[in-house]
Formats: sequence, C-alpha cells, structure tokens
Amino acid sequence: MYASRNIELCSKDCLCLFVCPTGAADTETGQIDRDLCLDGCRLCVDACPSHAIYLVMNNYPEPGVKNEELTSLMMALLERKTEQEQAARNLESAAQKPGEKKLAMALGKSLRILAEDCAREAGFMLPQSRSVRDMLKELTETVDSEKNEIISKLLREIGKVK
Amino acid sequence: MTIPRNAFPAIFSNLAKASEKQQLYVLEKLFSELSESMQLKSSSRKVSPETIKNQITEDLQNQYPEIMKKAEYTEERGVHRALRWGEKVTTLQKSLIDRYLLKGDEFFVENDLFICEACGFIFLGKTSPGLCPVCKAPEKRFTKVS
Repeated sequence: MYASRNIELCSKDCLCLFVCPTGAADTETGQIDRDLCLDGCRLCVDACPSHAIYLVMNNYPEPGVKNEELTSLMMALLERKTEQEQAARNLESAAQKPGEKKLAMALGKSLRILAEDCAREAGFMLPQSRSVRDMLKELTETVDSEKNEIISKLLREIGKVK
Repeated sequence: MTIPRNAFPAIFSNLAKASEKQQLYVLEKLFSELSESMQLKSSSRKVSPETIKNQITEDLQNQYPEIMKKAEYTEERGVHRALRWGEKVTTLQKSLIDRYLLKGDEFFVENDLFICEACGFIFLGKTSPGLCPVCKAPEKRFTKVS
C-alpha cells in the first residue's frame, strides 16, 4: 500500500515531511512519490493533522460474482442510457438556441454518468479485474488495428498492477 | 453476456476514472483513448427535447420499476443503489426538459446548470446547490455546464 494525498484537504502544515523516511512526501506536484513510498509505512497518514493522507492498495481483491440476470439487465439499461446520451449529443450539435444547447449538453453529461454507473453494476467496476481483462481480450477479435494497439498496451499495464 | 457495441465508450470512460482514483495515470489515459476511439459519430438525425423526454419517460415508467422488481429479492446492494439514484436523476432530467418546454430558452440562458459528477444529478440555478440531494456528494463534485 502506498500513501496518497488529498490535496483539497491538505493544510500545508507539512508534518508528513518530518516523518517520511524516504522523502516521498516532498514533491512539487503535491502528490506523494509512489516510487519512493514504503509499502504500508503509514507514518505520514498518522502524522497528518488534516487527515489528508490515506493509503491506496496495490492489489485489490477480485470483485464477487454478480447475479447474471441482473448484470444483463444493467447492461440493457446501459444501452438505453447510451442511446439517450447520443440523442442529447445530436441535439447539442444541431441546436439553434443557446438554452437548448446548454440543456442538451447537461443531459449528455448526466446520461454518461448514469451509463457509467450501469457499467459498474454490469460487472466492470475495477480496471484490473478478471472481467475487464477477459472483456478486453475478447474485444481484440472484433476491432481494428488502431484499437488493438491500445488494448494490448492496456493489458500490459494491467498486468503490472494486478 | 454479450456487450452491445454502443456500451463500450461508457464502460471505458468509467474505467479511466477508476484508474485515475488509484493514480494509475497510464491506465487512465489508455482507457480514455479507447473510450474516445469507440465513440459513435453524432448523426445528423434531427432530435428534439421531446424525443429525449419520451425515451426518459419510458425508463421511468417501465425500465426502472421492472429491474427493481427483479433486484428486490437479491443481495445486490450496488444494483439497488444504482437503480434508486438512477431513477431520481432520471426523474430530474425529465423535469428539467419539462421546465425547458414550459419556460422557454431565455430561462435556461439566464440560469446555470450544475452537474454532480458522482451521480449525474442536474441542478438549475444561479449557484451550485452545495450538497448533492441525490447522492450527498460535496459541492466540489459539481461542475458548471458551459
């Protein structure tokens, strides 16, 4: 596990710098240097007066098996939300009136967020999970070479973190 | 389970967000790229606010109640939660379109729209609503549509 800083909570009291044994907490980006952070050390987490530092897992457990009927239903709902999102995007690009354009833009964004929630509940929540890896592998058979290149990079990267 | 072709952009944009939260920025970028590359081109098919309202109304009248009924006797808490939030957010989408049709374009130009990035709730007003009434996300999760 490595430490991560929620920069919006950080009050810059910098007590993490006093306790960090490797200097990982001291960076220009405001984020803790993951490569220097000691696995599970958590000295900075406990020292922070603003509760701005937490530990991120290196390995997440494989998500539990979901009810198959429900995942299919959530996938069907995702399909509907996407169709509506597409309709909102079409309205956005064709809109003549500024208020209508704003409405369409908001609907498109909102529908995408709903679609993403359906995607999580249809079994694709954790990037490094088996269901995501299997889905990516299956997808390689039906997409063009440009997308395949992205997918093979993805599978390589996921292999590093899982 | 077969995945409909149009579902991939949202699946991958969601995985990009989940990667970003773990600070896996290379994964985030690749998932975003894949999401965008699978995005369907916007068609020139004429769509009106009423068309979208009709699709949304169908979700509220049939889709949500039916899936909720199926989910009722299962232990799938995430699905229950997603359906409750989704139904509320969708109800508010519909009321927003109704207000547009009733009050006209001017009203939407005078006011701002804010979206909760956590659940999709859309708020219409002069300033952001603070806490999200649907999912209780804090004010910083709201973005202004412009």
